[in-house]
Amino acid sequence: MAAVTMVQAIAQALAEEMERDERVVVLGEDVGKRGGVFLATEGLLERFGPERVLDTPLAESAIIGAAVGMAAHGLRPVAEIQFADYVFPGIDQLFSQAAKLRYRSGGQFSAPMVVRMPSGGGVRGGHHHSQSPEAHFVHTAGLKVVVASTPSDAKGLLKAAIRDDDPVVFLEPKRLYRASREEVPDGDYVVPLGKAAIRREGDAITIIAYGTSMPEVLKAGDELAKVGIAAEIIDLRTLLPWDIDTVMRSVAKTGRVILVADAPRTAGVLGEIAATIAEELFDQLLAPPIRVAGFDTPYPYAQDKLYLPTVTRILNAAKQALDY
Amino acid sequence: MVHEPIIATSTASFEPFTAQPIALLNEEGEWTGHFPIDLSDAQLQQLYRDMLAMRLLDERFTVLLRTGKTSFTAPMAGHEAAQVAIAHAVRRGHDWLFPYYRDYGLALTLGVPLVEIFGQMLATQADPAKGRQMPCHPGSRPLNIFTAASTVASHVPPATGAAISMKLRRTGQVAVCTFGDGATSEGDWYAAVNFAAVQRAPAVFICENNRYAISVPLALQCATPTIAEKARAFGIPGYHVDGMDVLASYYVVREAVEYARAGNGPVLVDLVVYRYGPHSSADDDSRYRPREEVEYWRQRDPLLRFRRFLERHGLWSENWEQQLREAITQEQAEALEAAERAGDVPADWMFDDVYATPLWHLERQRALLRAELQ
Repeated sequence: MAAVTMVQAIAQALAEEMERDERVVVLGEDVGKRGGVFLATEGLLERFGPERVLDTPLAESAIIGAAVGMAAHGLRPVAEIQFADYVFPGIDQLFSQAAKLRYRSGGQFSAPMVVRMPSGGGVRGGHHHSQSPEAHFVHTAGLKVVVASTPSDAKGLLKAAIRDDDPVVFLEPKRLYRASREEVPDGDYVVPLGKAAIRREGDAITIIAYGTSMPEVLKAGDELAKVGIAAEIIDLRTLLPWDIDTVMRSVAKTGRVILVADAPRTAGVLGEIAATIAEELFDQLLAPPIRVAGFDTPYPYAQDKLYLPTVTRILNAAKQALDY
Repeated sequence: MVHEPIIATSTASFEPFTAQPIALLNEEGEWTGHFPIDLSDAQLQQLYRDMLAMRLLDERFTVLLRTGKTSFTAPMAGHEAAQVAIAHAVRRGHDWLFPYYRDYGLALTLGVPLVEIFGQMLATQADPAKGRQMPCHPGSRPLNIFTAASTVASHVPPATGAAISMKLRRTGQVAVCTFGDGATSEGDWYAAVNFAAVQRAPAVFICENNRYAISVPLALQCATPTIAEKARAFGIPGYHVDGMDVLASYYVVREAVEYARAGNGPVLVDLVVYRYGPHSSADDDSRYRPREEVEYWRQRDPLLRFRRFLERHGLWSENWEQQLREAITQEQAEALEAAERAGDVPADWMFDDVYATPLWHLERQRALLRAELQ
């Protein structure tokens, strides 16, 4: 099996799921002939035809809202929002319709659907092509939220998301789309939602991270290893429901934890996990949980690389936790 | 009582985009249509019975509010002809309905059991939606009634999606979506109707145009003389109809539904009605509507007009009306009692149906509440 990029792995997952289940349809702007602006839907139109691969009008509310109706009626739609920054016109559909349909109908109707969107910075996209809006979704009951960081995970998690009976927001760190190649496991490879991955084992400090920042986190882990510090690195992969067992087991072992992601710091996912760790493991902590997040500014253009958590910033936080 | 559906046996072919609303009955109840009525006497009487049941249900909702049994109502008196007509024009249990919060008359006529309606109004265990929403939010899986949401026009894109699914899966169904005039200003409304039109999806979008979005009159809502004209922008037909004329509403909607079912794409129907009550039980409509205006429209009551029609054809009498009222009142009283008897929704139900299977954080929160309540 040839090594593939993350975006190729996503295209594979979509094709395989459409092959496996005729209820799976893809809709979004430019997903047809263009194959998606990042080529995540390349080849699908030719293979499955325009009834199952729908180029939509340029209206995110129509894309997400139509997916809700399709899902309620029995299809398994996968909607593509061209950039996560463009999801906001579709937010009423995601929050008021998709997230609450099962609940408000008492379980009579549901919306098993996936909304895929490239997210995160590092591509010189300015604030309307770089945001990481996951906190909004995690804060909305009824949605599941997934962020992949490797080609294999992207494929396996997307398959799990398509098969899930609830609406899933599937964030794809666009900076990682073509950052690396990896051999994706053969066969029907599915990565269950809600399970984190341990990227590096260690007992000195836990680093909890996900998505766009994973390459920097792994580099920081290498740097720490060079000076004899064994960091345990957890890639959350699913932000809701997040894998509390893996997190608590690791932090109970290390007693020190830093949390890293590129989304804005205030009221973010990292804060929620840090607070839960403090509530549950206070007497086992050797240092307070420390967050390394994006800044609370709109995402800047000129300082694109500085906005993202740098290896230096991650190492400084680790040092702070280790020296506490 | 669920009655037999009225099966269409002829079509009438109406003109879209008329300046004057399409009407088939004048105020005296005379038939002014250019085609013969293909409804039996029993079917015509059923339309009246359903309108009367809706009027009495609306009155009972107000009683529920005044006696403290419910917290909210969205008055629907004045919408009877429109809602009853829509319910009779679709294939019940086959087509999908996407109602809004003023549509309990539509739900009732489609066959939602009264006990479920009162269960939802009172948030008891008789509510199939488990007491999750404010009163006046109909929904029924067995009858394909997509549970209403409060957010205005947010159900229109899902109606489009369902219609696209119907087309893809060749189910022969139609998605019928209703909303008020205010909804037609929402971006989601335009996005949804446009997408349905592009896909030539079997959707019928019906405005229950009562000319007020809470207090804002239609003239401040849109600059087109009619809502129907907005259809031109989507390349679909739009019909401007007297929504207080049950036969005009029925025949136009029936034609629209069958046009969509035949694969011609969506239709927009503008049913012009008048809301006799305030926007909701939390509204004071005397602040924005002169009483003379309300009184003017009360003289044009859709029940009154249709009663005159039936009377002309020997299908209405004081005695029959009295019997109907007694039967309906009795039926509603029994259903209300059954809904109350079902008992309050347990606190614990709050945590169900957020996801298909419970997630750990919600189970922890459920345990927290249980402990608090013990």
